[in-house]
Amino acid sequence: MSTLKVTLVERDGREVTIHDAGIGKSLMEVAKANGVEGILGECGGGCACATCHVYVDAEWQDVVGPPEVLEEMTLDGVSHITRDNSRLGCQIVLSREMDGLRVAVAPPQ
Amino acid sequence: MSNSDLNEKMDSCPAAGHEVDLAGATLQDPEILARPNAFYWAMRHEDPVHYDPGLDMWLVSRYEDLQAVLADPITFSVEAGYKEQYAKGYIEDFKEILERDGGGFFPDAIMTDPPQHTRIRKLMEGAFTAHRVKQLEPEISKVVSGLIDKFADKGGADGVKDFAVPMTIEIICAQLGLDTFDPQEIQRWSLAITAQIGRMQDREQMVENAREICDLQNYLIAAIRERQENPRDDMLSDLVHARTEDEEHPTLTFKEVVSLARALLIAGNETTATALGNLLFILATQPDLAQELYDNVDDERYTTRFVEEILRLEPPVRGLSRMTTKEVELGGVTLPKGAHMLNLYASGNDDETVFECPRKFDMNRPNIGRHVAFGGGVHRCVGLALARMEVKVAAREFVKRLKDIKLEIPIEDIRYLPTIATRSIEHLPLSFSKR
Repeated sequence: MSTLKVTLVERDGREVTIHDAGIGKSLMEVAKANGVEGILGECGGGCACATCHVYVDAEWQDVVGPPEVLEEMTLDGVSHITRDNSRLGCQIVLSREMDGLRVAVAPPQ
Repeated sequence: MSNSDLNEKMDSCPAAGHEVDLAGATLQDPEILARPNAFYWAMRHEDPVHYDPGLDMWLVSRYEDLQAVLADPITFSVEAGYKEQYAKGYIEDFKEILERDGGGFFPDAIMTDPPQHTRIRKLMEGAFTAHRVKQLEPEISKVVSGLIDKFADKGGADGVKDFAVPMTIEIICAQLGLDTFDPQEIQRWSLAITAQIGRMQDREQMVENAREICDLQNYLIAAIRERQENPRDDMLSDLVHARTEDEEHPTLTFKEVVSLARALLIAGNETTATALGNLLFILATQPDLAQELYDNVDDERYTTRFVEEILRLEPPVRGLSRMTTKEVELGGVTLPKGAHMLNLYASGNDDETVFECPRKFDMNRPNIGRHVAFGGGVHRCVGLALARMEVKVAAREFVKRLKDIKLEIPIEDIRYLPTIATRSIEHLPLSFSKR
């Protein structure tokens, strides 16, 4: 299996489920390619703009893991909307264990 | 009070009471270019979107106003602003030289506006993602330690000429796949390119710079032609054979490929070398900080934050241009259509309403990630992950291998390149001993 299923909940509550998300791609890339509203990825995956900010569903937090330090700093830049389960989509590299992953798109900055 | 006294005063916190007479000042003044922070401060407090008559540009100095510009790439056009700045005063003659001797005049394809920009940008992004760059860390570490080993026993070296410049050139050339190159030549080419947006060249220098750029283009064109026939596993081949999602223009034109290769080679070494010069300056002048870095050198969290704070405190790129495409209000000023502007990122990073005690190195500040050293919005530096990695590895290897790093000349004698675009130390004589 080289693809998996991920679900993103857009800001208005609409759910987008992607059934053929490629393993090894970032969540941001996959979301952008599927036109998920609110995932901009302005810096192109450089972990710098926080325009692919998502909240990871509680049951997936352990699988996805915490942000690295650079990502933390970028999230600090939007600290008014960060939560304990904040991650940047560009830094989540999809792996086999993430099949079924569910996240919500964070509000605009 | 002289400009340098004012700057010294600003090192205290909170920064207050340092007036520069804006009416008589221009960013073209070499004294202000070398020590600009009092000038930035005066603008932010008295005239945040300040018209500089010497440059005929509006200088955007406050963090908040910079964010407004970055968020609207259509009203504040990079394409128009960059074009206006490029070889200003001599553009027709410059073009003629390039067309005659340099294979053609190739406008920078990345310095455009959406939607054209979006097509090019997408192509460049894949090469530079944080994940891809991470894989380069061992290779970069090897280059850095190799360079340090060359001078470690000598007890001294020039931090710019012997380290920063050759390091960034070797790394970007390896990425592009340029295996035969002369680092000194590439540095000359880099300076010739950046001089085109630096606003400080006279006619004679323009002709000299244009000649260098002809050599650069002829060198790149030969390498590109070779990749057209025989693609390899390198970024140059990626550009030549790239497919875009745009159905009407599925491949890059030859002109675009040359301009992008040129941009990657130059932007990929010049600005990062400037950042490395600033890093070494700080290590040599703040021994306690250098010691602290050494004590924490294997702590990834520490080194990453250290690099971000260096970039905030001493951003290599001082300012880049934009031009309004319609009348617009910014920071209380109504800018007419066609107003030429300079986004002063260095001033944004120095804005005390966002960064408390901005002249102080403080890697524990809570909003360290908000600095604008890489710009922002759709034009945010595409190579930022590579740049961060290079600065981090350089900082780590330098203090790991060398100690007692000291500046060999008085701080006042440090000279900066004559350009408004970057703040680049020209020579940085250092002494040190091997660990």
